[in-house]
Amino acid sequence: MTTTDIPAAGVRAARRPAPGDKRPRRRREGAAWVFLSPWVLGAAVLTLLPMAVSLYLSFTDYDMFNPPHWVGLRNYVQMFTEDPRYWRSVGATLGYVVIAVPLQLALALLIALALKSMKRGKAFYRSAFYAPSLLGASMSVALVWRAVFNDGGTVDNLLSAVGIHTGGWVNRPGWALLAVALLTVWQFGAPMVIFLAGLQQIPAELYEAAAVDGASRWRQFVSVTLPMLSPVLFFNLVLQTIQAFQVFTPAFAVSAGKGGPADSTLFYTLYLYDRGFVASHMGYASAMAWTLLLVIGAVTAVLFRTSRTWVFYADEGDR
Amino acid sequence: MPANRTTMSCVSATVLALCAVLTGCGGPSDTGGSGKTVLRYTWWGNPDRAARTEQAVALFEERHPGIEVQTSFAGYEAYKQKLATQAAGGDAPDVMQLDYRQIDQYASGGVLLDLGTRRQTLRTGEIDTGLLATGVVDGKQYAIPQGRGTETVAYDAGQWKAAAVDLPRAGWTWDDWAAAMRALAKRTGKPGSVDPGQSEDCFEAWLRGQGKSLYTEDGGLGFTVGDLTRWWTFTDGLRREGAVSPAEETTQLDGSVENTPLARGRAIADFNWDAPTSALTAIVGEALTLAPLPSGADGTPGQYFKPSMFVGIAATTEHPEESAELIDFLINDKEAAKILGASRSIPVNESIRKEVVPGLKDFDRTIADYQASVEGTLEPPPQAPPAGDNALQTTFARDYDQVSFERMTPREAAENYIIEAEAELRP
Repeated sequence: MTTTDIPAAGVRAARRPAPGDKRPRRRREGAAWVFLSPWVLGAAVLTLLPMAVSLYLSFTDYDMFNPPHWVGLRNYVQMFTEDPRYWRSVGATLGYVVIAVPLQLALALLIALALKSMKRGKAFYRSAFYAPSLLGASMSVALVWRAVFNDGGTVDNLLSAVGIHTGGWVNRPGWALLAVALLTVWQFGAPMVIFLAGLQQIPAELYEAAAVDGASRWRQFVSVTLPMLSPVLFFNLVLQTIQAFQVFTPAFAVSAGKGGPADSTLFYTLYLYDRGFVASHMGYASAMAWTLLLVIGAVTAVLFRTSRTWVFYADEGDR
Repeated sequence: MPANRTTMSCVSATVLALCAVLTGCGGPSDTGGSGKTVLRYTWWGNPDRAARTEQAVALFEERHPGIEVQTSFAGYEAYKQKLATQAAGGDAPDVMQLDYRQIDQYASGGVLLDLGTRRQTLRTGEIDTGLLATGVVDGKQYAIPQGRGTETVAYDAGQWKAAAVDLPRAGWTWDDWAAAMRALAKRTGKPGSVDPGQSEDCFEAWLRGQGKSLYTEDGGLGFTVGDLTRWWTFTDGLRREGAVSPAEETTQLDGSVENTPLARGRAIADFNWDAPTSALTAIVGEALTLAPLPSGADGTPGQYFKPSMFVGIAATTEHPEESAELIDFLINDKEAAKILGASRSIPVNESIRKEVVPGLKDFDRTIADYQASVEGTLEPPPQAPPAGDNALQTTFARDYDQVSFERMTPREAAENYIIEAEAELRP
């Protein structure tokens, strides 16, 4: 808000104490702090302090048993120049983000469009499609996924029945990544619900006007739905991209914690976990975590920058 | 989806750090409501081992009315991670089961109590000195072996005989083994064995057969890029011929017996430690037979008797004496030994072993006979692997994936492994 905004000025005016009337204000602020204190304490002790310690640890060699000792930038140098497996994990993660996010968003949008035009049973289908989002993050579903795509599993058998012999997906480099990506795509419920809400915000007059002008359904989708939906699309894109970078459970379960075969599902977080909790290199794992934080920050910033060219806010015309 | 993985990782990493720093993170109170001394005893294992351990612990409590033992167990991987977290937080259980690969790290990290200080209570006189020495780090006895195991080639004798291939015999070499695998593959149409290229244990046996070792005495690598290249070239060649399991099968090995090619009916033989092979009898049946591992070309055996698991006491325990009593009871008491049987492999106490072994039944009997058959022919075990080996075991299998999926040559992968191992073993 700028200083000329009326609401901001109004708030400031209300806050300004009358001369000689300091005590009530202080008491009000004190009460606010009392009510805020659980959150403030929680944020400080459970988020800020651990983050600070993690940042410190990323410059140390720490095996969880002996006290950490300072190694400067060695963890970072090792990560970028001496660790081929680190780069394989970066590659696997990028591959996953590029496959899973667009597929998931496309599917979510498609189903949302279908649901929107549905006359009856909308609530049922909305819940049915949303359910995987609630279940999918769980270990058990990921394990079922492994069984389904394994050698001799459901998918293998079905494909064999039509004459395509795959011999399982999760034990082949390339295919395993796709199996994990499909698990994420299957959990399209959350973005779908948001798309549905966005679709219902689009004024019906726009479609009526377009229909009067003779626009086809496709034309309406491209010229009305997409631009009107772009803020929601952007929101989902940012959210799902950030989540995709941090994906852990599906890869952990599908590859039995190994990121295999041949490191094809060794996602960044999986390798981070491996370094920290299996190899006891907490310093290295912390350095990886901070690098991931910076990369996600950078990717999000890039997305925001590109959004200027394609995201359209309805109220822009009013300004 | 998990809400925020980065924050999660940061939080977990740092909470652990905080726990290490703030000694306030103590465990639960040490005395129960009854005024008894409460010991925490944890181990990994299966329900059968759990039932027997509970029974033995109940007997211990009966004999020591002032002590209450709280037990807990989990699968190996989960146990390993939980114990590491507890130990880092200064909250290790009073008595804990340990693996060969954990001892060095835990002992040098100050997690374990020097058991030499409890010699009065915890008697070790009846344990083979060579075996006992495997629990020594920097000259101090930090852990006591609880059982001993050795590697084996487990095979389906029925299928092997049907293929009319000579059965494994004592003193067979790696070349004999390879020839047998080729013959089996040719006559049965399926691989003879799981591909041993992914197994650090098999590589170690192969190295030792040539008089070399995985690690030097000061914890460095005991082999060269050339050695590893030759091993991987050997196994990769057999894979290409179809004599051992294909990459898609090999990569699925996850430590469970059920997922091995032998159990899945896709191979005739398999490598493993002897005790876990008992789970194979349910799948393969009576025909399951154990043979020693192949030797070096000159007959030098590569396999060795390895302490299958250890038990140790936390350095932070408030009840070192009672903890030592519990371990002494588990290892040296005859009644306890009868209850525990071979649930932690063949007992280490010599006189107890003599008493328990004749009473063993079924596959426990097979394991005991197998151990007796190689007794006295093997070289002494190497000292406990250095701390970094815990992670290197997995790295070894992953690097071989690159070879068996033909993404790297054996030499490239071996060079990769050496770089990773040297970084891991850096003090």
